[in-house]
Amino acid sequence: MTVRVVIVDDHDVIRVGVRESLEDDIVVVGEGRDVESAIVAVKEAKPDVVILDVHLPGGTGGGALDVLAEILGGANAPKVLALSVSDAADDVVAVVRAGARGYVTKSISGPDLSDAVRRVASGDAVFSPRLAGFVLDAFNAAGGEVAQADEDLNSLTEREQEVMRLIARGYTYREVGEKLFISIKTVETHVGKVLHKLQLSNRHELARWAAQRRIV
Amino acid sequence: MVCDDKDVTESVRVARPLRREADASTWWRGLVGGMMIALALALLARRRGVDEVSAWALPAIVFVIALILVWSPLDSAVQTDARRPDVVSLFSRDAWARVVVGVLLAIGSMIWFAQWDFHGHPLTRAIVVPIVAVTGFVLVPAPWWTRLIRQVAVEREQRVREFERAEIAAHLHDSVMQTLTLIRAKANEPDTVARLARAQERDLRAYLYQGRRSEADSVATALAAAMSEVEDTHGVAIEVVSVGDAPTTDALRAAVKAAREAAMNAARHGSEPISVYAELTDDAYEVYVRDSGPGFDPLLVHKDRAGIRNSIIGRAARHGGTAIISSAPQSRTEVAITMPRKDER
Repeated sequence: MTVRVVIVDDHDVIRVGVRESLEDDIVVVGEGRDVESAIVAVKEAKPDVVILDVHLPGGTGGGALDVLAEILGGANAPKVLALSVSDAADDVVAVVRAGARGYVTKSISGPDLSDAVRRVASGDAVFSPRLAGFVLDAFNAAGGEVAQADEDLNSLTEREQEVMRLIARGYTYREVGEKLFISIKTVETHVGKVLHKLQLSNRHELARWAAQRRIV
Repeated sequence: MVCDDKDVTESVRVARPLRREADASTWWRGLVGGMMIALALALLARRRGVDEVSAWALPAIVFVIALILVWSPLDSAVQTDARRPDVVSLFSRDAWARVVVGVLLAIGSMIWFAQWDFHGHPLTRAIVVPIVAVTGFVLVPAPWWTRLIRQVAVEREQRVREFERAEIAAHLHDSVMQTLTLIRAKANEPDTVARLARAQERDLRAYLYQGRRSEADSVATALAAAMSEVEDTHGVAIEVVSVGDAPTTDALRAAVKAAREAAMNAARHGSEPISVYAELTDDAYEVYVRDSGPGFDPLLVHKDRAGIRNSIIGRAARHGGTAIISSAPQSRTEVAITMPRKDER
């Protein structure tokens, strides 16, 4: 199954680089260089996945957040994979809370990026080690906070913390599964739940990061 | 968002549908408000007598009309672009006329109100009339004042931004431009180019995400610095993720050094990507250094190879910590360093 993607980045060099590093089953159907052209490209090409740079010129100054506000929410809205060079927690968390289903850094290798795109296209979440680190930080995993119930949005369960720790240590989903003696599907489920919590939790660390980027 | 898909395909401007909605409801609300005030006045007049009410109600109505006239040039400006409150440019001839008529009406209504004869309350009158007059004359130019104040603030903000921009440009010129020139000169030495690029990237990151703490204050910074040394020495990329932070005590520094040694080994014998994950809890500091193979059999490592034994395991052990190396041929190698934090407190 081929995956149709739109690449949004304000640097020509990065767009070309991403386009060339993607594997053959991923087809680039459009490109955007700022908020406005990104929205047009997505509306026209109706891709499966949008590879979206976090910092973009144009719009109301919110960068990727402006694009997300416009392209998500429809019946067949594309999935979004955020791409950035930024290390700042507020950048990363803001785009995820605005609806991105994954976050990878621009230093990612071609095959890994292709993997991430396929994963996002199939509805799963993609966590880079850094995002996993932010999540553990935000949910105070190092401080020993553990969710008492699965539905608790404001802390992670023990299993979710284990999965996040292994991802932060550089394990792939498959390796996480082998290490914890669970299937790769179960790993995906855990990651999906963490994504859900990350997007909906009202923990003050998350709210603060989000507020720094003017979204809630 | 309160916009539907149809609006978006018509135009790509963000946030326009919201504004359109606000316009419609303002009219509607104004109309209802006006009708309710008229009704209230009519009821009041029926009960207290037309003369008594009209003596203050008519000047009040005239005054409100005056306010609407004086404020009206601003209203449109607020709606179109509140970020550029250029007061002077608002003035078309039409706006001038509105303001002049409005001010005259306001003065007239004040005088009219002052004529109102309170029945047998000269003291009340002496107090009420000046208060009403002062309030009235403050109200007329009020939005103009706030407008001017805001304009001054926006201008100051622009100046600050301009200053910052100049400073950033100067910094980029001194750092990035020089490095790019160097890279162009050394274009056929890939190792040098990669090292220059990495060093520049780190420098730029430090500049962009300022406010990081020193190595003594923050073990996360110390770990990141140690790993960038390894990156520079061996020309590899290392992804460092730290959770939790604290001042770097001797024990933590030993853990960082052991992790540095482990990363050195990973860079020498393993392959990229190399991941470093550090987590600081109340009880312990754990660092994991992981490469991507090809791995080795820990039992077959020669006894006289000092690297692992002394610099990783020994270093950790001297401060009461442990280091566990797990690896096997054809798999990834991971070094887990655990440093307890009991003696700190």
